[in-house]
Amino acid sequence: MFEVLGARAIDDIGNIGQFGRFCWQTTAACLRGCWNHKTYPLVWAQMHIIGVRSVPVIMITGAFVGMTLAVQAYDQLKAMGFEERLGVLINISVVKELGPVLAAVMLAGRVGGALTAELGTMNVTEQIDAVRSIGTDPIWYLVAPRVMACLLLTPFLIIYADLLGILGGFFVGVKQLGINNWAYWSFSASGVELWDVVVGIIKGLFFGGAIAVISCYKGFTCKEGAQGVGQACTEAFVSSFISILVLDFVLAVMFKAIYNTFWPFRSLVG
Amino acid sequence: MNTQNQTTQERRDSAPQGSNDILAARNVTKRFGPHLVLDNVSLSIERGKTTVVIGPSGCGKTVLIKHLIVLLRPTSGEVYFNDSRIDNLSEQDLNEVRTRFGFLFQGGALFDSLSVFENIVFPIRQHNRVKDWSHVEDIVKSKLAMVGLDGFQNYYPANLSGGQRKRVALARAIALNPEVLLYDEPTTGLDPIRSDVINELVLKLQRELGVTTVVVTHDMTSAYKIADRIIMLHNGKIVADGDADHIRNHPHPVVQQFINGQVGEDDLAILRMTGTASQTQFLPRDFEA
Repeated sequence: MFEVLGARAIDDIGNIGQFGRFCWQTTAACLRGCWNHKTYPLVWAQMHIIGVRSVPVIMITGAFVGMTLAVQAYDQLKAMGFEERLGVLINISVVKELGPVLAAVMLAGRVGGALTAELGTMNVTEQIDAVRSIGTDPIWYLVAPRVMACLLLTPFLIIYADLLGILGGFFVGVKQLGINNWAYWSFSASGVELWDVVVGIIKGLFFGGAIAVISCYKGFTCKEGAQGVGQACTEAFVSSFISILVLDFVLAVMFKAIYNTFWPFRSLVG
Repeated sequence: MNTQNQTTQERRDSAPQGSNDILAARNVTKRFGPHLVLDNVSLSIERGKTTVVIGPSGCGKTVLIKHLIVLLRPTSGEVYFNDSRIDNLSEQDLNEVRTRFGFLFQGGALFDSLSVFENIVFPIRQHNRVKDWSHVEDIVKSKLAMVGLDGFQNYYPANLSGGQRKRVALARAIALNPEVLLYDEPTTGLDPIRSDVINELVLKLQRELGVTTVVVTHDMTSAYKIADRIIMLHNGKIVADGDADHIRNHPHPVVQQFINGQVGEDDLAILRMTGTASQTQFLPRDFEA
């Protein structure tokens, strides 16, 4: 048993090292790519695939998050006589946590799966080796544009998710449940600060980078055959999802510490 | 006579690298985990000649050819190109070296998302080999004409047959006018006529471009037709090295079995162990409820 555990531990350490090396190579390729005009059309093409085509699904996600929050929270707040504060609850949840996290999870499923499947298929059909045999760095040609596109566009997609989440919450809270329009927005404005919105958007940068790097890595290292590609896609989604949650926690702690350093505590209920 | 011929021919393996050798592998060993694929292989490839590496499936032919362009790095040993060691170069330095090679992959490895035109332009664009981009269409046309596929510029790989895909891949491999062309199983999966088309292309490109050619194959018809020299690999080791006649008359039983397509005693023993036809076939009673 110890032998098996030891072998597995060595294997895992090897994989972590390999992933670390891949991240380093990707960072170097992205930095090199910033000064190489040949990278721009590649990034542009990926921005269309990753960003533009994800807008509808991200908007739908955001809208339903806002609407569901309104439906779930209304009764509890009404029982306490706080129903006019529904806006602040929905909006701060959406811009700070649910918008970024759920948009990133949707992206991990839509974009991450596609990236792994595409690069995994290229790997098993020797297309990645073909890129290398031509004398082109496959990390620069295949990974860097995808990572850059994800890094650049995830924050924008999160803005879309936030907007639709806020509108969804407004629609259910004000139009369906009859909360006073002025009170709804006035409490929201007093409770949600620019800081909260910026925190959500900055999280998007990290989430986007993590999704792209993990998905590309899984594609580059996937095993032979259809089963290998399928397994790589599953692993890419699970790993991306877990890293989104872990990053979200770490960033929440970090940003809270930064906020508390410069600004006093504020209560949303007081 | 055979033994003497064998001694003379196989001495080339260990001979020091001459100025006429463009590529050389020295004591190359490759392991994938516990599995030994190449076992201390040494060979040199003569400039301007066609060298064919033969051997049964899984003997390490593809692994060997990938070492020559350092798509795989040896576990131990060295690889030389034009007398310079290349297996220890960084990937960035290797990129420059690789532009002097053309590699035809077994399945073609054309980029699915790019058209035939874009596939052939890809290496040219990556390495800025064209000063006047208005001529690029003519260049692609000439490369495709060389493999007999002019007019297919706007096709996508999915719309091509297996043979056409390999020919387009060949056009892409010669896009940068390489010094060395490496072919990994160029005739596998093709019918005999398409295979011969590829053989003729290999000969034509070698003749017209003067490139050094290394072909990995298990197709003996193809090997005899195109080879100046044939190397046989078995269980990760070179067991025979010489011209077609030398290989035909080689005394090693493994070589004779392979070139004549005869199953070996070991394989037959395995087949016998799996049982008789009556034991291995399903009978109607097996499907009764």
